[in-house]
Amino acid sequence: MTLSTAARDRLIGVALALITTVVVISSQRDVGIARDEVVYMQHGAKYADWWTGLATFSHGLSGDSIGDTFGCRPSVKTCESTANNREHPPLMKTLFGLSDKLLDRDLGIVDEVTAFRLPSAIMHGVCVYLVFAMALALWGLAEGVLAGVLLALLPRALFHAGLACFDAPSMTLWFATVYAYWKCLDGRTWPWQVGVVWGLALATKHTALLLPFALGVHYLIVGYRASTPRWPGILAHRWRVIASVAVLGPLVLLALWPWLWLSPIGHVHDWLAFHLEHVNYNFEYLGHNWNAPPFPWHVAIVTTLFTVPTATLAAAVAGSTRWILQWRAKDSVDKARAPVLLLALSLAAAMGPFMLGSTPIFGAEKHWMPALPTICIAGAVGIVWTARRAAAALRVPAIAAIAVVGGAVAIAGATEVVTSHPYALTWYSAAAGGAPGGADLGMNRQFWGVSARGVLPVLDADAPPAGSRPRYVYTHDASPAWGLYQKEGLVSKTLADSGYEQAGVDHSSLAIVIHELHFNRHDYMIWKSYGSVRPSFVLRADGVPIVSVYRRDPLPPP
Amino acid sequence: MSTSEASAPRWLAALPAVLLVAVAAWETCATRRDATSVPGDDAWTAAEAVVRAQHQPGDLIVFAPAWVDPVGRLHLGDLISVDDAGRMDAARYARVWELSIRGDHAPEVAGETPAFEDASGDVLVRRYDRAAPARVVDDVRRHVPEVSPTRSVSDVYREVGFEPHACLELSVKAGTTMRVTFPKLQLGTTLVGYVGIPDVFERRDYRDPGTLSVEIAGATVASAIAGVDDGWVRFEAATTPGVAAVTFEVSTTGKPDQHRKLCFAAEARE
Repeated sequence: MTLSTAARDRLIGVALALITTVVVISSQRDVGIARDEVVYMQHGAKYADWWTGLATFSHGLSGDSIGDTFGCRPSVKTCESTANNREHPPLMKTLFGLSDKLLDRDLGIVDEVTAFRLPSAIMHGVCVYLVFAMALALWGLAEGVLAGVLLALLPRALFHAGLACFDAPSMTLWFATVYAYWKCLDGRTWPWQVGVVWGLALATKHTALLLPFALGVHYLIVGYRASTPRWPGILAHRWRVIASVAVLGPLVLLALWPWLWLSPIGHVHDWLAFHLEHVNYNFEYLGHNWNAPPFPWHVAIVTTLFTVPTATLAAAVAGSTRWILQWRAKDSVDKARAPVLLLALSLAAAMGPFMLGSTPIFGAEKHWMPALPTICIAGAVGIVWTARRAAAALRVPAIAAIAVVGGAVAIAGATEVVTSHPYALTWYSAAAGGAPGGADLGMNRQFWGVSARGVLPVLDADAPPAGSRPRYVYTHDASPAWGLYQKEGLVSKTLADSGYEQAGVDHSSLAIVIHELHFNRHDYMIWKSYGSVRPSFVLRADGVPIVSVYRRDPLPPP
Repeated sequence: MSTSEASAPRWLAALPAVLLVAVAAWETCATRRDATSVPGDDAWTAAEAVVRAQHQPGDLIVFAPAWVDPVGRLHLGDLISVDDAGRMDAARYARVWELSIRGDHAPEVAGETPAFEDASGDVLVRRYDRAAPARVVDDVRRHVPEVSPTRSVSDVYREVGFEPHACLELSVKAGTTMRVTFPKLQLGTTLVGYVGIPDVFERRDYRDPGTLSVEIAGATVASAIAGVDDGWVRFEAATTPGVAAVTFEVSTTGKPDQHRKLCFAAEARE
């Protein structure tokens, strides 16, 4: 039996996606539990139970039932902005919960944390597939494979894909929207795909609201190029695509988010207001702790420079050069639908808001991850272009040159991935000098407390025997995850969380500090309480301290 | 391939690919090199032994770069008291040990020449001997029980500018001025102090600066403004040796009814 070219290509794409998903799933097992992840897991389980209850007629569609699960009961006059995690749309949380219900609670084939994280890992595989598919369709198999590989070998993206959070899925659905939009510009009668996928992106993370800026500008430009007479034609040349985005997108969001059913406009307003007025996180960047605007305009650029493998970026520069040369020669690929312009606008829309200086600081590169597919596709195009030129010049087979150049770039990415694991938030690329270079430059050390997992065995050595009175640990930023760590058997149940701030420190016999600049205060509270500045253990990532453990001396009895 | 591309020298056409491979090869090697570039515990244990062999009570130990401080304290933290770690500054220490990696140096000994250096290991050990360290005659923290108004300041240990400082904290209503008097401070030839806004969340939520001025015998002798990004701000005044009443006047701006915290420390020195 011989496979058709299309079937072969599809198989290659699926294989890339599967390998990526498996790598994410296996690597996340070493990664600690992120602070926010715990919230998404808890509410995801609740949302999933609600949907399954609805499907099995265990309950109806009452306002109280919806409010209890997704926000507040209608009778509640002042609903907390974070009640039932209503500040984030529900799609991924619901999938996390359904995955846990099926694979952990019902079938018991994976552990709880892995079950919650599986949907995000699958979404990352889907992203690799979509990047492969678009590059394949526009440039060829080599570009498709390389684009997928480059995306799979991004250390930070791989890390985020292993968490039950929204950032990696948001990148997938953002890019899926870009891809669907490009496909739908072919003049099809029912371009429903783009609207539905954008609705899914909206139901994943609010940043999807930036996408219409990219799509809108692109639509106007391709419409301008295509239309005669111009102005009516600009808007009308693919009006069904616009209608799909404008109608189906919001409808899908509405369908997936029961909280909106109670008050569509009011609750959308609350959702967006929460993020527009978001509290500024503390974020270390180039040696300064930023927690109030104006923020440096170059955060997104410099952070991307230091968190995407350098060879991938170099390849992307080559690819961009190729695109510019083609554009100047009026030889761009798929001129009618201008996919390169679309990819560039997608990147600009993902990164642009972080250059305004006024956008609240929510965290680091995870918020502009939708820019990454553009970089990886450009990288793949750059590799193949430069390799083909070299092959022609040196009179060697093109496939060999592509293998050498692509292989070298992929090995560099793979080296960065291996080096970054499992503390990828502390990792920086070779351009920054790795994790130590990032520390020298004063780049953000980490966030969400994931690295606390690395000191659990150290703490556990002082755990009283099962059944004894507990010994108290000041768990600091790992506090939300503590119960789950205990449930997973990673730390003894006789090591109890001592509580918050100075009272928690004073009540503790053991303490941890997860090193971020703005967490220095925890060190000082512990020093004062324990009467010593000497930690008993310091966890390091490539030599850079990430968690300190303190132990009262002598250790008091439980 | 365009005409210009076809006519380019062969090596030039291959150059971009060669450069890409070179960047990738460099990154592959550099990544592993960077990951192992920070000295491990063996190097720190060796450096620790050097310090312990010569350490004297009253010595200060500092580490550079600042991010390696936890590792330094892991090895030598028993020789660093909580008060030494939260010092006002390093001027009063006659001997300062600096343990550094990656060619960095601690700001406490900037510009000084080491009296001793051991570069035999991956952690550079240096000792700086000061011929004339600052002699502390008095410290406002010793006079908290006598302060007027009573209980207007608290002796605390706080993060100021992401560093630890033992200091006197007070809370001031925005738009008002608060005066704190130490009636019997033994003065030397200078009064050196620092002021800052404690706690990163205080600095995030309230962005206005605080002002501190020092009055002796009714005259303002020093003042300092501490903004949210200024850290631990130094002030200094020449003084006449003897006992005097010293008043610290603190004011902050901000929205009405906000209470703002400031922390200060001051030593009378000779």
